[in-house]
Amino acid sequence: MAGLELLSDEGYRVDGRRAGELRKVRARMGVFAQADGSAYIEQGNTKALAVVYGPHEMRGSRSKALHDRALVNCQYSMATFSTGERKRRPHGDRKSSEMTLHLKQTFEAAILTQLYPRSQIDIYVQILQADGGNYCACVNAATLATIDAGIPMRDYVCASSAGFIEDTPLADLNYVEEAAGGPQVALALLPKSDQIALLEMNSRLHEDHLEQVMEAASKACKDVYAVLDQVVRDHVHEVTTLLGE
Amino acid sequence: MQRTEKVLQLRGLQGRSVRIVREHYLRPDVPCRSALCQAACPRDGKLLSDDVTHYVVPDWKIVQDYLEILEFSELKGIIFMQTACQAVQHQRGRRQYNKLRNLVKDARHDCILFANEFQQYCYLPRERGESMEKWQTRSIYNAAVWYYNHCLGQLPVVMVTEDEDAIREYGGETEGVFVISFKNYLDNFWPDLKAVHELCDSILQSRRERECESQENNGKEYPEHLPMEVLEAGIKSGRYIQGVLNVNKHRAQMEAFVRLQGASGKETDLQSDILIHGTKARNRAIHGDVVAVELLLQHEWKGRTASLCENDTEEKAPGDTSSEPMPTGRVVGIIQKNWRDYVVTFPSKEESQSQGKNAQKILVTPWDYRIPKIRISTQQAEALQDCRVIVRIDSWESTSVYPNGHFVRVLGRIGDLEGETAVILVENSISVAPFSEAQMCEMPSSTSENPWKVNPEEELKRIDLRNTHLVFSIDPEGCEDVDDALSIRTLANGNLELGVHIADVTHFVAVNSYTDIEARARATTYYLADRRYDMLPSILSADLCSLLSRVERYAVSVMWELDKNSYEILRVWYNRTIIQSSYKLVYEVAQGLLDGDLSVVDDILELKELDERTRQQKLEELVWAIGKLTDIARRVRAKRDRCGALELEGVEIRVQLDDKKNIHDLIPKQPLEVHETVAECMILANHWVAKMIWENFPHHTLLRQHPPPRQEFFSELRECASAKGFSIDTRSNKALADSLSKADDPLDPTVNKLLRSMATQAMSNALYFSTGSCPEEEFHHYGLALDKYTHFTSPIRRYADIVVHRLLMAATLKDTKVDVTVNLFSNKDLEELCRHINNRNRVRWMTVMSSDVFEQHLVQWALILIGSLWVLQ
Repeated sequence: MAGLELLSDEGYRVDGRRAGELRKVRARMGVFAQADGSAYIEQGNTKALAVVYGPHEMRGSRSKALHDRALVNCQYSMATFSTGERKRRPHGDRKSSEMTLHLKQTFEAAILTQLYPRSQIDIYVQILQADGGNYCACVNAATLATIDAGIPMRDYVCASSAGFIEDTPLADLNYVEEAAGGPQVALALLPKSDQIALLEMNSRLHEDHLEQVMEAASKACKDVYAVLDQVVRDHVHEVTTLLGE
Repeated sequence: MQRTEKVLQLRGLQGRSVRIVREHYLRPDVPCRSALCQAACPRDGKLLSDDVTHYVVPDWKIVQDYLEILEFSELKGIIFMQTACQAVQHQRGRRQYNKLRNLVKDARHDCILFANEFQQYCYLPRERGESMEKWQTRSIYNAAVWYYNHCLGQLPVVMVTEDEDAIREYGGETEGVFVISFKNYLDNFWPDLKAVHELCDSILQSRRERECESQENNGKEYPEHLPMEVLEAGIKSGRYIQGVLNVNKHRAQMEAFVRLQGASGKETDLQSDILIHGTKARNRAIHGDVVAVELLLQHEWKGRTASLCENDTEEKAPGDTSSEPMPTGRVVGIIQKNWRDYVVTFPSKEESQSQGKNAQKILVTPWDYRIPKIRISTQQAEALQDCRVIVRIDSWESTSVYPNGHFVRVLGRIGDLEGETAVILVENSISVAPFSEAQMCEMPSSTSENPWKVNPEEELKRIDLRNTHLVFSIDPEGCEDVDDALSIRTLANGNLELGVHIADVTHFVAVNSYTDIEARARATTYYLADRRYDMLPSILSADLCSLLSRVERYAVSVMWELDKNSYEILRVWYNRTIIQSSYKLVYEVAQGLLDGDLSVVDDILELKELDERTRQQKLEELVWAIGKLTDIARRVRAKRDRCGALELEGVEIRVQLDDKKNIHDLIPKQPLEVHETVAECMILANHWVAKMIWENFPHHTLLRQHPPPRQEFFSELRECASAKGFSIDTRSNKALADSLSKADDPLDPTVNKLLRSMATQAMSNALYFSTGSCPEEEFHHYGLALDKYTHFTSPIRRYADIVVHRLLMAATLKDTKVDVTVNLFSNKDLEELCRHINNRNRVRWMTVMSSDVFEQHLVQWALILIGSLWVLQ
């Protein structure tokens, strides 16, 4: 598919979006009853499921406990059926371990961990279908799950990717655009304070363009924020009416 | 926005079939781009005009096969549907698709692209089991109907297709939307366009032939080409080598060389080019194609033929005259075809009869003998017997010895001046259509009754040099497009002020105006012996932008303040100015004044009408100025020489025309010192401008580099020099320059000239490039020994200079907080532009090379050798 035109002269991307448009986001909170918090999100064809346990006391080795804050434990995995060709190993490979670390960093920055010294918060995320922007979908799902679990956070963490193709910054890349191998930025943002929880970039991008790409990414994050906020409000509304009965 | 999904079956990496689900978003707000639209579609960009009788929607098949016809600008109101464009991209490849894209972008063609697959109501999902072709036709028809309704039925929409079923099925379905075949369409709607009909016939015929042939398909002449994936993988793994095929001019049948391209050359340790021996090994590749080559085993390697022999004597005993073996290979696949229009002649009558069985098929002989004979089918063979004709290659099946082509148009009779000129132009892909009306409308008017005047508003913005500076130009005799002028004066503090004034073309040529687009495409003015093809309309090139004497003109000036004794540059400024040139001097006259020869004074028109005293006074001023300029130029030159600038020799020939513009004589140009003075001032200006714009826009500036030559090219020079007892050191430009000046035989001055000329041949070509795409170490200009160089001084003749002018103006305005970068190219666009200009320049260079051959053949229409100096500047 070397010849595929990622951005046409008319300004359409392969899937018919324009440069700054997000894929359709659908999300649900509280999908499982056993876990403390859970959420499911679809960003286009990328589907992710997040489950949160905690805060609870340390499991496993107690020596890992931190005396002044909670330990955030993350695990990222991809379902074997999530990609075009069946995956052998759902987690534990190099790529997943890296993603796990990134998630951990992101949520250590967002959760008010100092409220729960010597305890542990577990975040498990699984990609059910991968179509680009896996990290972003995971962060967004985990945010919703954390909120569902009632763990205090500084702000929502919203993540979105942005790429740079044909001298134009594109928001929220899908798999085809990612696979083209152009520069890609993944940004996790605390939208109210405009603070960056995590920023990652692949491939080479000229310094001059970085600002534009960052702008596109943070705009996309804020758009995601609007959607997530609505989902949370709807969920709360639903739960309260149920309780009220 | 509405979301749907597309399911595709694709072949995965391991060749397995993979199911891929892709999202597909639909939207209601796809702009229809019609001027008739009553709905609130956004109206920016190119619109389809409303003065046509109908809109035409070509089917995917038509776009694929008849794009050449749709390229005629007489056909108006064409809507290309996205579905059709994608079909072209998938089935005809990048090149054809880019052609289509450029067509849609071109403001002169009345056609648009409509993104029907993203339109909510036009999109039709492909049904289960429906073939791709059927679905494409259905989608395009549906979009055509939508378009008709969207425009409220103001104009009928005609869908043209080759598909009989579609005509039957959709023909009467909707009123106002007609479905007819392409032939039918041309007959009914454009009966007068003869050229279109002829082209259509010839395409049809060649297709029919091709079909017949593929049916009767017997013994294969050539091995099949490998599929693209295999080639790509092979190139990556180093099994195949990618390169451009160059056919040997003198042994076109037997020898071709593949020049290595890019990274593949570095990995394999091949030093030289790869020899492709014989037409079998060449496997249907044509001169200029990018091919993948497989190396043969070492014992099969052959040497290149050293002796000159006739082209057609094939199959001599192998290896009898050849030199030592060199890497030899065979073509396994063609990565990019580089077919263009070819000029051919028909064989004489006897020959064509001897070709026998099928009189309709004729083998025609291309003008460029590196191209194989082309088989075309036409009934007009006899009528075209002594004409030069353009032919396009359609295909080259592995079963056929020769490629198949079709006839496009007649250029003229053989031997006819106009016809032969056209041949040169077509062979070099030079477009010389006169400027269109839309372009001329953009031009300011200037007639003899109502001459163009300086605009008072503009006057305030510019610095007025009309009364303060003595400005004059020095050019060859008969020059109409004067784009540079010089000035020099003494400042109050005793220092000197040197000025180079260049015509302000960008004032008249706005970014992305029609003129600008045309100039970009032409990239340069082509000089032929008896005519020239201008890059800009003549009102600009010969009048408003030409710095003629005693008229007011806009200019862009670079001024230096020089120290009165050492001529060190103390200060430099760049600005838009108004100047009035006092003299338009000819080189010979200027040289005369410099030498103190006053007999030339009578040739200066501007001094004729003055009385004796003022005349004397003015003359003194002028002589002082020229003398001072020469003095400065010598110093600057000496400084560059110390850094290793090369002085190379090339014979420059001037063609003298008689009164009737026939070619009278060819005379070698006499080198004068004034030439060097002017050239040095221009180089100085170019160098300073390059520095200025690079400092301001480090990532997207157009500069000119001259890479150091490849050492192996010097071997011949070294050998020749050692035969005469000189040694040539080629390690750096400085060493080369020094050793060249040492290699001077006092008894025979031609030896030195000859050696210099050989050194020139060894040089690589200077190139334009965008600074964002190249590391800073490579900016260097080898020949001029300057760290940065660009072209600034001839905006009338070269498009690169126009770009540089815009950059310079943006740079000078940078402090004023205006957003200056809007009109500038980004790095990527600039890179593409540079590639284009370099290509056009190479073409010009080629025409120059072929003109040498021309003279020997006593052909009159030689292009002027614009000079081997081209390599250097």
